[in-house]
Amino acid sequence: MLIILLFNEMSLSGPQHCLKLKCSECLLNEVDSHYCPMCLENMSSSEAKLKKNRCGNCFDCPSCGHTLTTRATNVAISDPDDPGKSTPKKMYYMACGFCRWTTRDVAIDDKTVASGGWEDIENTHAKKIQSLLDYYHELALNEKAERERKKYVRRRSHLYYAASMDKYGMVTVAVKKKIGAMSNVSIKENEETTTQITTEEKISDFPALPDDFFTTPLELSKVTTITQRLASPEFQPTITNDLYPKRKHLLIRKSMRCKECEHNLIKPEMNPLSIKFKIQLVIMHHIPEVRLMAPMEFRFKKELKVVLLLINPVVHNTTVSLLPVDKESDSFSTAKIELPKKEVVLARRDDAAIYDDATQMHQEFKDEKNVVAFRKANKLGVIIKVTPLIQEGDVKVSFVLRHDYRNTAVVLPMENQEPQISWLQHRIFLNLGRIHKSK
Amino acid sequence: MPLYEGVIYSGDKNIVVLDIGAAYTKCGIAGETGPRCIIPSHIKKDDQIVKLWDFNNEEELYENLKEFLFMIYFRHLLVNPKDRRMVISESLLCPSKFRDTLARVLFRHFEVGSIMFGTSHLLALTAIGVNTGLVMDVGYTETLLIPVYEGIPVIKAIQSLPIASQAIHKKLEDQLKEKATVNTAGGCKPMSSMPDCLNEQILEDIKVRCCFVTSLERAKQIQEVTVYGADSNKLPAAVPSVKFPLDGSQVLNIDGTIREHTCEILFEQDNEENSVPTLVLDALLKCPIDMRLELADNIVVTGGTAMLPGFHHRLQLELYDQLKKPKYQNKLVIKKFQFHKLFSKENYTSWLGGAMYGALETLATRSVSRDVYLTAGKLTDWCCIAEEMETEKEEKVKLKNR
Repeated sequence: MLIILLFNEMSLSGPQHCLKLKCSECLLNEVDSHYCPMCLENMSSSEAKLKKNRCGNCFDCPSCGHTLTTRATNVAISDPDDPGKSTPKKMYYMACGFCRWTTRDVAIDDKTVASGGWEDIENTHAKKIQSLLDYYHELALNEKAERERKKYVRRRSHLYYAASMDKYGMVTVAVKKKIGAMSNVSIKENEETTTQITTEEKISDFPALPDDFFTTPLELSKVTTITQRLASPEFQPTITNDLYPKRKHLLIRKSMRCKECEHNLIKPEMNPLSIKFKIQLVIMHHIPEVRLMAPMEFRFKKELKVVLLLINPVVHNTTVSLLPVDKESDSFSTAKIELPKKEVVLARRDDAAIYDDATQMHQEFKDEKNVVAFRKANKLGVIIKVTPLIQEGDVKVSFVLRHDYRNTAVVLPMENQEPQISWLQHRIFLNLGRIHKSK
Repeated sequence: MPLYEGVIYSGDKNIVVLDIGAAYTKCGIAGETGPRCIIPSHIKKDDQIVKLWDFNNEEELYENLKEFLFMIYFRHLLVNPKDRRMVISESLLCPSKFRDTLARVLFRHFEVGSIMFGTSHLLALTAIGVNTGLVMDVGYTETLLIPVYEGIPVIKAIQSLPIASQAIHKKLEDQLKEKATVNTAGGCKPMSSMPDCLNEQILEDIKVRCCFVTSLERAKQIQEVTVYGADSNKLPAAVPSVKFPLDGSQVLNIDGTIREHTCEILFEQDNEENSVPTLVLDALLKCPIDMRLELADNIVVTGGTAMLPGFHHRLQLELYDQLKKPKYQNKLVIKKFQFHKLFSKENYTSWLGGAMYGALETLATRSVSRDVYLTAGKLTDWCCIAEEMETEKEEKVKLKNR
């Protein structure tokens, strides 16, 4: 599984802050902005809610799910005054470029306008559901009022009486239980309500399948598939003649927030066309990267010099030291390591320096030969000595990477203060390679 | 739809209503007339389809649910989960493991504000607007029937049978392997020689598009042959066969008998003389005598399998037919069975009930809030009588303060 580690920056303005690494597990995803994947139109969240997350202009094919395109045709309309003369008129219909389905297939009239003329079909039960909802709404209000009243007037009902007679105290619990848990989806109906639900007529005779159902061959092309049915859950058409263009479902841009300090770590720009971010605190822009330089061949109890590549992503020089971890708490390592005792300095990242071979980096930093293998731009090779303690299996080591970090991202430009420097420590787990059993 | 309707009931709350079925998950927003989407209850993991209900341990389920709910929130419903209320429709017989893990994912990972767990059979009644009914849910793995009287499920009369959609798919597959042929570029081959060309989705498609529940007279003739071993020339004239395209080059020939016989599995009685219709009668027998007439007068059939063409008609005829059997004849004096009309498709009826509940003001008093869950560390369930249900008086205040 790929875990994107994000760096949660300290904020100077907020009272709460944390400077921790967060993975996608400990972040909260949020809906940032809605947009249509077809026309890339941005939609405000209230509008998206009103339109049930559907685009107003784009449609999907109900048959295959591909996007429908609007087609224009000229239709000759006969003049009512002069029957012999006809005037051409532009009419629009929609067609699928993939499966060739058109709105004409299902006898939907062509529209006179290119967009906006397509109404949604209405749920035939909507009225009934609405009246039922009105009724429940009233019951709920009654129940709420009753609850309020009960707060002040404690009634002595038969339930309490029964409870006081109860030897073992089980009745109260059971009664509460019954009222509470199982019947929690029934609303009390002893209250008078003004809206009454008309009881729908019950069915005592369902129609049988028509006789010709057993004799006429089934035309498979006229029956919808289960995916086509479920694509419009409210209507679930069973025959292809009932298919109706679906409005395109919107997509969202996500932002991510730290669960602890609630700061945004990733926030995209509103414009769906832009691939940039407003806030993007990804670890690779802030924390030195540790890489293994080259694969090595390990032997049991044989010390080996391993070169680790450290890469500085920030535009300041970063002081790094590698610290050992507690022997007791370390159940990961399978090898002994010897880390450089001194701090090393990683040169700042300078995009221009990559093209410039003749920098005087080496003069700037006084590197010790037995610690630093090489130095190039913002990269540094650090030597560690590894002695595997196992005969075969993975050679794994663990240490702590400690470095200074200058918090520059959130400093307001007008406040002319020095950026805060803090020291960060990260535990690094490295799998260096495998020892194969010597033959 | 006028603008104000949405505003009155759902407000700005975006309460998510979720019904995780064995085959399909229905999800949408409270106060609406239909779910936003009905999607298969599975996730894709390394190109493999992993069904939500197939899990070995709770950790696995936790991970799967996390991914699944993420998809629902950010791909389908496009709403923020944090601090929002939620309604979940669950079966009365939902395993505690599933329920607990679901609550754990929602409260701890997605940090939802509160959850109301509603029993799916009761919610189905809510969606119709009645209090008493014999609710039969013909789902994917099982048919579960719960009589509900004045809003209280009659637990002792619960009936279930592991025969529903899954059994139909199994039978369809067996029959196809036995009889069907496939037209390929290289000629006509028996289905059994190419075992890989069927999968659950194709089977379901064949069921939905070709199969149906036949009439009672024809069914009796068919069962005479298939169950009691009569001579096969007694079968009624077969319905026309269908050529079902599997992909560009392969066409499956589905015999008329397969189309007709497949769904009979719902009505064939097993060794204990149980079938889907007898569940209704058995449940009535187990109910107190005063409830029986009223329950028989209020039958509600939900679940996607009930959408098969001819299902309702057959069920109703079977009920009258079975009633004449000695097992029921002298015990049940029921003259008439009456069925309720649904205001939805059968497969999302209980979702609709949940959506209605979610739109009401009393939702808070019926749900478990996150704070209560975190302090208690677990959910209460209807079957453990010793635990008290959380009252929400204090919580409500907290939620408001937020």
